[in-house]
Amino acid sequence: MSDNTLHPEAIPASNEPLRIAVRRLRWFKQAFQRHAEAYGRDLGCEFQIDEAKLASNFVRWLESIEAQKPSDKTQRRAFFEFASALMLRELTADLPVKAKSPPTRANAASAAAFWPEGYLCTMFCLSVHAAAMAQEFDATTEIDPAIDDLRQWWSFRSNAGQDASFSAGFLQMLLGQQPNWMMPDIFRARLTSELT
Amino acid sequence: MSSQSPIRPDPMPLREALRGLRHVLRRGGETLAQTITVDALPGPAAGIAGAVLREVGGLAHQVDRVASGLAKSMLGGNDPGVANLTDLGHARDGDARFAEAVYVALRSVLKRLGAPGAFVSEAAARKVYAQAGTTTAAVLTLDLLAARVLRDAAAEDTARVPPSELEPVAIFAVLLWLQSARSEAENEAALDAATDLAIAIAPDVAQACATGDAGRLTTLFDKYAAHV
Repeated sequence: MSDNTLHPEAIPASNEPLRIAVRRLRWFKQAFQRHAEAYGRDLGCEFQIDEAKLASNFVRWLESIEAQKPSDKTQRRAFFEFASALMLRELTADLPVKAKSPPTRANAASAAAFWPEGYLCTMFCLSVHAAAMAQEFDATTEIDPAIDDLRQWWSFRSNAGQDASFSAGFLQMLLGQQPNWMMPDIFRARLTSELT
Repeated sequence: MSSQSPIRPDPMPLREALRGLRHVLRRGGETLAQTITVDALPGPAAGIAGAVLREVGGLAHQVDRVASGLAKSMLGGNDPGVANLTDLGHARDGDARFAEAVYVALRSVLKRLGAPGAFVSEAAARKVYAQAGTTTAAVLTLDLLAARVLRDAAAEDTARVPPSELEPVAIFAVLLWLQSARSEAENEAALDAATDLAIAIAPDVAQACATGDAGRLTTLFDKYAAHV
């Protein structure tokens, strides 16, 4: 069994559907803070969040959603799934978090020890994705076993450092999808890739 | 025997005056401390100057405390409530409630921006609202800037926006917050979020304000009010 477990309890309660709440900065900040605390406890390290960066990540994420949102209603679910990939792209483009010390409780050969900040951002996106999919479509999110492969994380960190769009492909891969690695952050390219 | 209701004077002008006094004392104290370098004086002179400065500082602190206490406790005006711009437009005392909300919210926003020492004029905010009435948030933003609701806004070195963007960003944040859907429990988090959003789009906001572009401001408000 994977050690990389989600923290559904870190998803803040809301009177609104998650698809609405997640697009409110106050909810987004609270959710990220709670995930940083939960994974900080798991890993044995404290995360320091840069709120200004997190707000900028959030604004860029909103803009990318707005720019790529398909007008075709039949694409709603597919785009809903894709939105978390865009979220990870924006978070890794300018990491809003820093581990104040190396994790003391993480396995030395784990992704969390290798790159705590990237790991937190990825798990946060997966967690929000899983909660939103469950609420909106009554769907269970299965995470690909690749999440336990440190080589994948090494590749993720290395490539995302050069081109943040790689992060979008990485998240799709963890969700068991086949990303278009040429343009992993373009929704239309993803559809084309699946059709051909 | 006729019963007359007691005259209830509007406390706002006195509150504004006390806040002004408090601001001058605080700023004056800071300026004095920065200007006079006691250490550079010869021994006896330094001793006398130090004693005088301490005396003046103590006096200013006492007056500041009294002025703050009066302004805060006796004269009210510290509760922004869950004011919403649309609701204020329908309220009989909308101008007073708007000005109170702007005052309290701006003080909080300025702290978050790293410029807590600025003077916020509740009187100017009330006048703007009374004259503009139920207009758009964009027009109110430009009018509040023109009326110099924020005065003496010196940003600290750690401020989160450049000095030239401080006033437009602060006022935009408050107007954005006033348009956001929120419960009373979410008031503070919503104001922080509105401030962070305003910082994230600061160049856009500052540009729209500098050119008096109400249309652009309206677009920004429409785009972000649902995301606070």
